[in-house]
Amino acid sequence: MAETFETIQAAANAREDMLNGGLRIRVGVALCGEAAGAFEVLEALKGEVASRGLAATVQEVGCIGLCYAEPLVDVLLPNGSRVFYKNVTPEDLPAILDAAASGTHSPSNKVLGTLGEAGAPGLAKIEDTPQWKYQVRIATRNTGTVDPGEILEYIAAGGYTGLAKALTSMTQEKLIEEIKTSGLRGRGGAAFPTGVKWGFLQGSNGPNKYILVNCEEGDPGAYNDKGLVESDPHTVIEGTIIAGYATGSNYGYIFLRHGHIGPTRRAQDAIKQAYEHGLLGQNILGADFSFDMEVAFTGDSYVAGEETALMEAIEGKRSMPRDRPPFPAQSGVWANPSNINNVKTVSYVPEIVRRGGEWFAGIGYERSKGTAILCITGDVNYPGMYEVPFGLTLGQVVNEIAGGTASGRDVKLLQTGGPLGGVLGADSLDIILDYEGMSAAGAILGSGGIIVGADDVCVVDLARTLMAFCQFESCGKCFPCRLGMTHLVEMLERIAANKGLPEDLELMRSTGKTMAGGSLCGHGQLGFNPISSALKFFEEDFRVHLEEGRCPTGSCDGPFHRPTRTRPVATAEWYAKEEYVAP
Amino acid sequence: MTEPLKLSIDGVEISAQPGQTVLQAAIDNNVYIPYLCYWPGLKPYGSCRMCVVEVEGGRGTPASCTLPVADGMVVTTASPGVSDLRHGILELLLSEHPHGCLTCHRIELCGPQDICLRHVSVVDRCVVCPKNERCELKDTVRFVGVNMESPLTYNYRNLQVETGDPFYDRDYNLCIVCARCVRVCEEIRGDDAVTMIERSGTVLVGTSFGMSLLESGCEFCGACIDVCPVGALVERDHKWDKAVKTVKTTCPHCSVGCQINLEVDSRGSVIRSIGDWDSPVSVGQLCYMGKFGNEFVNKPDRIKMPMIKKHGELVETSWEEALGIIASRLPDYKGDAFSLLVSPRATNEQAYLAGKFARSVMGTNNIDLSIDHRLELVEPLGRRLGNMATTGTVTELEDAGCVLVVNSNTTEEHNVAAIPIKKGHKKGNKLIVVDTREVELTRYADLWLRPFPGTENALIGGILKVIIDEDLQDAEFLASKSENLDALTTSLSSYDLDSVAETTGVSADKIAAAARFFAGGSSAAIVYALDNIAAEVRTPLTESLIDLALVTGNVGKASAGLFPLRPGANSQGALDVGCNPAYLPGQVAVNGNPGLTAPAALEGMVAGTVKAAMVIGDSPLFTAEAIHALSHTEFLVVQDLFLNDLAQSADVVLPMTSFAEDDGTVTNLDRWVQSRRAAIEAPGEARPSTYTFAELASRMGVSDFDSGDPAAILAEIASVVPAYAAINEEALEDGSVQLSWVMPERVPMSHLAPLQPRVAGAEEFLFAPGRVLAMPGEEVEIIRSNGKNAIRREDALEIHPEDAASLGVAPGEIIEVVTLTHRIRGMARTTGTLRGVISATVLFGELATALDASGDCDPMLRVPGLHIMPVRVEKVPS
Repeated sequence: MAETFETIQAAANAREDMLNGGLRIRVGVALCGEAAGAFEVLEALKGEVASRGLAATVQEVGCIGLCYAEPLVDVLLPNGSRVFYKNVTPEDLPAILDAAASGTHSPSNKVLGTLGEAGAPGLAKIEDTPQWKYQVRIATRNTGTVDPGEILEYIAAGGYTGLAKALTSMTQEKLIEEIKTSGLRGRGGAAFPTGVKWGFLQGSNGPNKYILVNCEEGDPGAYNDKGLVESDPHTVIEGTIIAGYATGSNYGYIFLRHGHIGPTRRAQDAIKQAYEHGLLGQNILGADFSFDMEVAFTGDSYVAGEETALMEAIEGKRSMPRDRPPFPAQSGVWANPSNINNVKTVSYVPEIVRRGGEWFAGIGYERSKGTAILCITGDVNYPGMYEVPFGLTLGQVVNEIAGGTASGRDVKLLQTGGPLGGVLGADSLDIILDYEGMSAAGAILGSGGIIVGADDVCVVDLARTLMAFCQFESCGKCFPCRLGMTHLVEMLERIAANKGLPEDLELMRSTGKTMAGGSLCGHGQLGFNPISSALKFFEEDFRVHLEEGRCPTGSCDGPFHRPTRTRPVATAEWYAKEEYVAP
Repeated sequence: MTEPLKLSIDGVEISAQPGQTVLQAAIDNNVYIPYLCYWPGLKPYGSCRMCVVEVEGGRGTPASCTLPVADGMVVTTASPGVSDLRHGILELLLSEHPHGCLTCHRIELCGPQDICLRHVSVVDRCVVCPKNERCELKDTVRFVGVNMESPLTYNYRNLQVETGDPFYDRDYNLCIVCARCVRVCEEIRGDDAVTMIERSGTVLVGTSFGMSLLESGCEFCGACIDVCPVGALVERDHKWDKAVKTVKTTCPHCSVGCQINLEVDSRGSVIRSIGDWDSPVSVGQLCYMGKFGNEFVNKPDRIKMPMIKKHGELVETSWEEALGIIASRLPDYKGDAFSLLVSPRATNEQAYLAGKFARSVMGTNNIDLSIDHRLELVEPLGRRLGNMATTGTVTELEDAGCVLVVNSNTTEEHNVAAIPIKKGHKKGNKLIVVDTREVELTRYADLWLRPFPGTENALIGGILKVIIDEDLQDAEFLASKSENLDALTTSLSSYDLDSVAETTGVSADKIAAAARFFAGGSSAAIVYALDNIAAEVRTPLTESLIDLALVTGNVGKASAGLFPLRPGANSQGALDVGCNPAYLPGQVAVNGNPGLTAPAALEGMVAGTVKAAMVIGDSPLFTAEAIHALSHTEFLVVQDLFLNDLAQSADVVLPMTSFAEDDGTVTNLDRWVQSRRAAIEAPGEARPSTYTFAELASRMGVSDFDSGDPAAILAEIASVVPAYAAINEEALEDGSVQLSWVMPERVPMSHLAPLQPRVAGAEEFLFAPGRVLAMPGEEVEIIRSNGKNAIRREDALEIHPEDAASLGVAPGEIIEVVTLTHRIRGMARTTGTLRGVISATVLFGELATALDASGDCDPMLRVPGLHIMPVRVEKVPS
């Protein structure tokens, strides 16, 4: 018989106390950290600690969201002070360790600040920075703090108490009611009320029922799903198990893109640990509820993140969208009832169950409850992953949290919600960040990615980049998307090369209309958004290319690399006439 | 049937069944909505978006092929918005599909023989497309009325046309990526030989990794060609020819009886064979034989005139003279000195008249089909269940909870019968294969039992024993329907599992698992051909299989029963109408001694007891040895299509009509009576055998032969054979009629002979050849020679490790298997499970290549079967 949840909690707390009694150094090694060289820092740190014979615990943690400061080293002194060092290189480590041994901090140019109630003498609090003060960290409450490879740290941080509460004191109906009360809406883009969606699945019958957690996340500029799975996999797992209990499901999948090694490793390890502690498998925590989970993969395909294409991929088929109806709640994976939620959506669930739907509904703005997990990139000073409540303006997000443009130029445009979300002009900075506000402005919040562009960006260049992505990622199943996008990319390329034809704008619009009306899935239906929004706000850029034969900013003049040349014969000949730099 | 729903399409009120899509409902009610990717029988796919509609109160423009009907739905198929959308999509599609055939200003003027002045680019020309004027895309574009002046950049894919593989060409420059071919291959055929490759703008249909069809699992059934809406997939023979008419008839190649639409061109040649999707028997499917094996009817060297032998040479003559000679000679051989051998392709009418001729004119029962048609597979069925035929319906195999296939290379020899088996397996039904050889179905089998050749009956006994011991039998069925069960159970006493395992070489676990699968399903069916079972063992084995079906209550209900797969296209009909030495019309046993079967007649010819023979049509039985036997006769008449070795040795040769020139009926293995309809004119003076028999009969003083008119003969069959009483031309007008069979009140159980332990230690090995569609994981090299793909691979010879040890052969060493005629060299693999058996599996692609290149007049007639044979094994010194 597995240990009771109380004994696991006790063990977790004891472990935490023991670790906090000594020097504890954590290195953020999630995707952004890894890209910035965190593993080199981690290795060097381990070597340095060992060679000094220090009694310090060195731990890997995930992403705390302050991407601009990676690699981040978080030093927790025995007295409770928590000092963050930014952009650490292996050369900085001796000084950091020296300072830690004496309870101080050094080198000063690498100190980011201190976090936590204990503070640190003479150091600014990270909580007071714009990057942190707007944040309400619910789904990301543990990221960058708990070791994603250790279930006990998650439990010590209050993890799995939501599940325990659900299993011991809540019925399926009560749980779904609680989620409905919270006002939680799907964070994958469509913003459908999660409680209602769960209700569909709960009402379906099948030999098996599946909860699919979508971490395909192919949008350029979005990394919050991967960030959550990699930094705090147990939040995702706990949310999934609760969703399974609420809907009467018996199987869960975390669906990852093949090649996302970090999130895959974390998710797989975490699932294994959850099994070991009786939190997955037969009769979870002694309750009359059994649930299994595994990680599933797709190949390199953006469209695999579309819910029905994702189901095809899980079944081992080519990931091409299915037509609906039947909807997944009736016939999903292997024709069994299925429910698909985004990683972020399920990540809120443990806290909602623990603290109540009313609590969650108290955060946010109008019909958009809770927080948005934003990934801000582009021409900004402080790129990162920030969890902020709905209701801020985009201006606050861009100018305060992200600190304005890094180039010092004026903000020209925002690209939100992934490539299909299109672009917004600078006047959009007044828009209030919530689902309704964004959609009224003709944009989508989508997965939460915001890319900022300054006035040195030519929108034709941006549009062709986005279109080239959309075109490359089309699965090729339905005719309008497969052919329409191909033509749109060609037209944009010739406009960018100042070879556009006078009728190109009209032709793009009519092609876009055919795609929007005729396409099978959202990829094609929304696939014209990058161009339609670009034309809406920045038709001038197109006009300059078409009529004056030049790029308004010069950004189209450099070499342009698109993922693949899909129609080499026509375009290669076409561009060979001028000095076009082909990849 | 559930209550039909009411919906309106373009203001017309129609009714539809719940679960239908709007497009299906529209088609059923003769409302046309354009479509390109939809195909009846395939799952809704929704890729071409041609069938978009508007629904009142609904969002957007859904595709009607994936939109389920709902009561009260108001659908508009051609609102301005929908029409614009359709135009837009077609314009996009035409931007990468050659469409000179639509834009050339001479399309209204040009005839097929006209010299083209090339008003459009060469690759765009109408005559460059093999589907010119029979293209669905072109029809759709014309229907939708697309303005052909699109500003979109046109792009030709410039891909090489794939012509290296057998039988058909693939020109992916013309492909519109509707994926019908991929889906038919996956959903209907279960082969997955082609797939979608690449993505986005470069998405196309192809084989994985661009491999040849020879290794991708293609069975060359041509289903993909039949569904292709454009010219991307076409048969290589008569590729550019246009049909002037289409005639539906029944395939002449095996006893499944697929319905074929034969396309005939203006010169009277059969140019294409296309599966008939309305047929309840074959549901649109054919196989490599039916699809690509009918060219023989067009061959210029068909016999066109009667010939008689003068001074050792065959010389042309008139029917009058030839018939006169036969009628004058045959009376000398009346009685058992005469033998009549009839082609298994003969119609019921031809077979009936042949039997009648033999019996009432020649006074002998020496009448048989000219093949070994394995009567033993059905005789016990006749004795115990009242009808010498399949008890169930082949298409229902799809829903059988378990299918047991015993020694049958179904995929090659009764191909279309394997489709429901594969489909059922895909649905999760169990498949058990009992075969020493590796055949296509063994790749899918949940259980592949590989008994030592000749011990199959012991294996079935073991399965029966487990069913009885574990109390898995259908006691209720046995109590109410069977008699003499004790005889069976008593006879099983020696079949303890370990002894059976020892005898058969199949592990006790597998035998028990097979018994549980078979008895555990909602229904179970037994499919058996007994390809490699000696004639004398076929009867007891069939008895055991009947017992197995009865013990589990699997006779006389849907998706269950016994399915003997006999060779010969019309072997069932021939038996029903008395073209058999032991049975008169209506499966009535001959009073007294039966006549000689075909093999016995050949022996009689050698022995000199059979002195005259008439042979109607060619047969795989006619090997050089058999022809030698036939030429022993004093008087030999051959009516055939070609002047082959057999005809050369005849005294009189008569020109015969082919299946494509015959009218009449045939009966398939699951009792469907279907029509043969003449599609083309017979060459020269070729006539059906019914004409010959009627003329000879009248010349020999017997008058009631209806002058050989098929309709009159059918009426006579209907009056003589009770099962055929309702069969007439009107009944067959719409297609196929299944003869009914009612299970008798009580069925006697049989019993098994005591288990005979196998005597091991014979010097000789048995060689078990296998053939499959694909061998994943095996190294296969495709080489090009003369523009054709061919397979080159090193055969692996599977041998039991102990046998290998006693021969001194280590794994990976080269050994040679020596038969009477061949030497097969290959690398030894010590993975065999049976002592004394050596096996090798080759790819079907090799056979397809050989058939495609064959110079034989009728290559499909002599497709080499997989025969287990004694061999010598030699080690090749390195």
